[in-house]
Amino acid sequence: MSALASGSTAMGQATAAGPSYTAPTTVDDVIAAMATGSRVVAGGTDLVVGSRQGRWPVPEHLVAIHRVNSLRGIRPVVDGGLWLGATATHGEIAEDATIRERYTALADASSIVGSRATRNVGTLGGNIANASPAAETSGPLMCFGATCMLESRNGRRELPLDELFSGPGRTVAAMDELLVSVSLPAQPAGTGSCYARLEYRRQMEIAVVGATAVVTLDGGQITAARVAITSLAPTVRRVPEAEAALIGSTGDRAAAERAGEAAAAASLPIDDVRAAADYRRAMAAVITRRVVQAAVDRARGETVSIPASASLHGAL
Amino acid sequence: MTMTTEPRTAPVVRLDGREKVTGVGRYAADMTLTGLLHGRFRFADIGHARIKRIDTTRAKALPGVVAVITEADVPDVQYGLFIKDRRLFAKGVVRWEGEVVAAVAALTPEIAKRAVELIEIDYEPLPVITDIEAALAPGAPLIHENWESYWQDEKLVRSGNEASRSTIVKGDTAAALASADLVVKGRYVAAGSQAAPIEPRAILAEWRSDRVQIWSSTQVPFAARSLVSETLGLPENKIRVTVPHLGGGFGAKCEGHFEPQVAALARAARRPVKVVFSRRDEFLAPDHRREGMIVEVESGVMRDGTIVARRAQVLTENGAYSADEPLITILAAIFSTGPYNVPNVDITGRCAYTNTQPSGSVRAPGAPQAAWALEQHMDEIAKALDMDPVDLRRKNLLRNGDLSPTSQVMSEIRAVETLDKAAELIGWGQPLPDDEGIGIACAWWPSFPMATSAFVKINVDGSPTIITGAQECGTGAVMTLPILAGEILGIDPSEFSLVYQDTESGPWDGGAGGSQTLFNNGRAVADAAMDVRRQLLKLAADELEAAEDDIELADGRARVKGSPDRFVTIAALADKTQGTQLLVGKGSGEVPPTPASDTSACTGRLGAESFAAPTFGTHAVRVKVDRDTGVVRVLKVVAAHDSGYIVNKVGAAGQVTGGVVMGLGQALTEGTQISGEGRVRNAHLLDYKLQTMADVPDISVWFTDTAVSDAGPKGSKGVGEPPCIPTPGAVANAIAAATGARVRELPATPGRIWSALREGQA
Repeated sequence: MSALASGSTAMGQATAAGPSYTAPTTVDDVIAAMATGSRVVAGGTDLVVGSRQGRWPVPEHLVAIHRVNSLRGIRPVVDGGLWLGATATHGEIAEDATIRERYTALADASSIVGSRATRNVGTLGGNIANASPAAETSGPLMCFGATCMLESRNGRRELPLDELFSGPGRTVAAMDELLVSVSLPAQPAGTGSCYARLEYRRQMEIAVVGATAVVTLDGGQITAARVAITSLAPTVRRVPEAEAALIGSTGDRAAAERAGEAAAAASLPIDDVRAAADYRRAMAAVITRRVVQAAVDRARGETVSIPASASLHGAL
Repeated sequence: MTMTTEPRTAPVVRLDGREKVTGVGRYAADMTLTGLLHGRFRFADIGHARIKRIDTTRAKALPGVVAVITEADVPDVQYGLFIKDRRLFAKGVVRWEGEVVAAVAALTPEIAKRAVELIEIDYEPLPVITDIEAALAPGAPLIHENWESYWQDEKLVRSGNEASRSTIVKGDTAAALASADLVVKGRYVAAGSQAAPIEPRAILAEWRSDRVQIWSSTQVPFAARSLVSETLGLPENKIRVTVPHLGGGFGAKCEGHFEPQVAALARAARRPVKVVFSRRDEFLAPDHRREGMIVEVESGVMRDGTIVARRAQVLTENGAYSADEPLITILAAIFSTGPYNVPNVDITGRCAYTNTQPSGSVRAPGAPQAAWALEQHMDEIAKALDMDPVDLRRKNLLRNGDLSPTSQVMSEIRAVETLDKAAELIGWGQPLPDDEGIGIACAWWPSFPMATSAFVKINVDGSPTIITGAQECGTGAVMTLPILAGEILGIDPSEFSLVYQDTESGPWDGGAGGSQTLFNNGRAVADAAMDVRRQLLKLAADELEAAEDDIELADGRARVKGSPDRFVTIAALADKTQGTQLLVGKGSGEVPPTPASDTSACTGRLGAESFAAPTFGTHAVRVKVDRDTGVVRVLKVVAAHDSGYIVNKVGAAGQVTGGVVMGLGQALTEGTQISGEGRVRNAHLLDYKLQTMADVPDISVWFTDTAVSDAGPKGSKGVGEPPCIPTPGAVANAIAAATGARVRELPATPGRIWSALREGQA
């Protein structure tokens, strides 16, 4: 179980008697607390809500990271990419002009996480570290080629996001590693992107099925494509077969349908309280097709409003 | 102050509104008391099992634990409305996962939680039955082995897992079906659902010598008091139940719930105790959720659309213990014929014990699912006859002089008007885009006359106070009482104060259930206000040297009709009463009669067969269906109701709007999901999907607004429950109209619609 999975119940070596809570202002102090078994809390929207639902107890020892300035913010970097601090909130991401223009799928995702209250305090780092197969932001981040920076007392290491997740609620990060930031590389000109999910109501939802597409158009042809599926496998994951189906095409409906079929074929859906597996698999095709078409539209400069979920199939 | 607008149409400033809106209002969970302990229940946490051992030793030994109680610590009393089949704490067997086995009182909620976990229970698992039909199958394991030994209402017919069996019979259905041009059949399966009040309940109990003060989030403080009295063996006047503000109930907080257990816990701890439910507790533990239901119906119809006979079987889910579900089953049986003039009916209602949360009244109990089934069936009849669904309904709707299924003669009803208005306002028959459809559904519902009383007093400074036993559950029904009293006394409604929801302050009342609050309390308050009015007129007659008949009350004054300058203020009259006879009025009013009916061929009757002041309504719904995903968006709802005279137009429209939204959730996104082991799978608000404000469509409300006799104040009828009845059926019909695919399961989830569309294509 990863230290990043804020809902994890694993206990470290904390020696203090009784529960503890600290809220340091430096990464070093956070890491020190983690090294003695404290678990990280940022917005608390997974940790506390999950605890109230009886899914896990609140950890005995908590280190809160909201006071650490160096974990905050969204900043452009010199090579044209973007740096996001672990405690950037979904509200900040959804409103960020650069993200809305150049990493639109991420804005699609962050603007539909939970409720407005959730988005005001829920963080990108928490969304990633919780490693939910339904996490909204993971598909867009993966498709944009995001890397995440992990830090512990042993130093820092940078990991591509698609190597981070190892299962539902699990990551390859060590118990004492803190997710510090996420970096997004620059996207080529002519890139459009979209994330959407199947949702049963218009607010307070969770992805029953989600899909991301990032496509680059050059001379009317797709030259690069990335597709990821959400809530359709033990982790959010890329679908190379869907990407292959798009490259070289014009991004027309037939190509989008082929991508959708590839996404459905790559799905390992489960039966649960939200949907039956066969329905989920069929929806993988529908939602993937729709996000591919919306990403192509955006790459062509057409407007598909954010969040795409509302305008694509919640459309009214 | 002058009233420039008719009070019933003015936006009423609710007397409880400011504190609720500003957040200073206090609910039961907000309360604290000196020495307060925190209580918590140990629930069964298993679907069905024999208790082999309960050991509370370790829990009691935990520092900070003050009391741990089980069935051994309370009187061995069995209770229940129609079958006394349950106890405060499980004894010997647990029959559903939310059954209370023990209770703990401790210094903090955290200690109480840990102590609950330290209670050791050894179970021997027993077979779990969650399916209604499996429970009723021959040879099914008995959920109550000793069912025959329980006290029951003498009119109840039951056997084994069948908690009740009743019939509604009129005419010769077999013969009529045989002679019909066409017989149309259908089977419809509705999942159970939840009232889901936004306030999870909280209960505090504090003993004062041999008396107990209880604060509870209940809709029915007097029924809660009775349950404490029955189970703990106390006279009612030693029990006081007070309700701070109530954060909704929708029926789930009807009947007594947990007040006796908390009172027993406080007595054992010798300190006040508070139990606050988590959202999960609120989903799992109360014995009032909307029942699952299976309706099998067949109708004999003639080519011209005349329905000549209807036979139906309605199976309802009682759950592990019996609350009011046997009565609800009779209502569901009646509603399975709809508000239609059907000369021959033969309906059997069967209520089945299952190892699930007990069912019980939730807003218009039994009706939405039965109407959902029947109104889909009506559309299927229309399709079979190639007839317009509105025309079919118009041909068969009950009219004055027609007979109900129990041969009650209809009078002063306006069902057809609601149909025509709803069809008109939704634009029935207009061309629609391919992915849209309009559905329509009709419904009816009784009013519930019952006794209650009220006091109206004029304080010595002239300020008026209403004292009632009524419970405000958020509907605004109690808040509407000043409109009625104010009109009689010539005082602006906003000047009243209200004493309510407290068993020691007000006269007995049935509580916030059955849409009865304004219907009955309005009558009592008006009667009490008339009593004070007579007293005021007498005083004013002396003061103004005029005949009582020549005096009118208006604008806070008594004045001589036609001579507005000859007046005395009510304050001045009140001042004169000091030291003499104070201005206190009391009243009950005459309970309106329940119409005659003929139930001679019916069996298992428990008393719901005759509908006093019945309400009628038609809802029309326009939807847009995403055919690829099955996701439905509701674009517009029209709700047309015959609720008699409308006393408070803003409040009544709010009730209809809320009822529509509740119905949309039941239609599309809610539904309790239960595993084969009897465990609820969606006991939280992320996966029990209530409609959000973002989902609420354009809703138009229309009332006949016509006074009727033998009804509530000024010719009104109950208004709170009916609006949630026709919506699920109208939504289902709209989905079928949009897609050609019919979903005969409730809720119509996207997955079910998608499946129905695929089958339709096959």
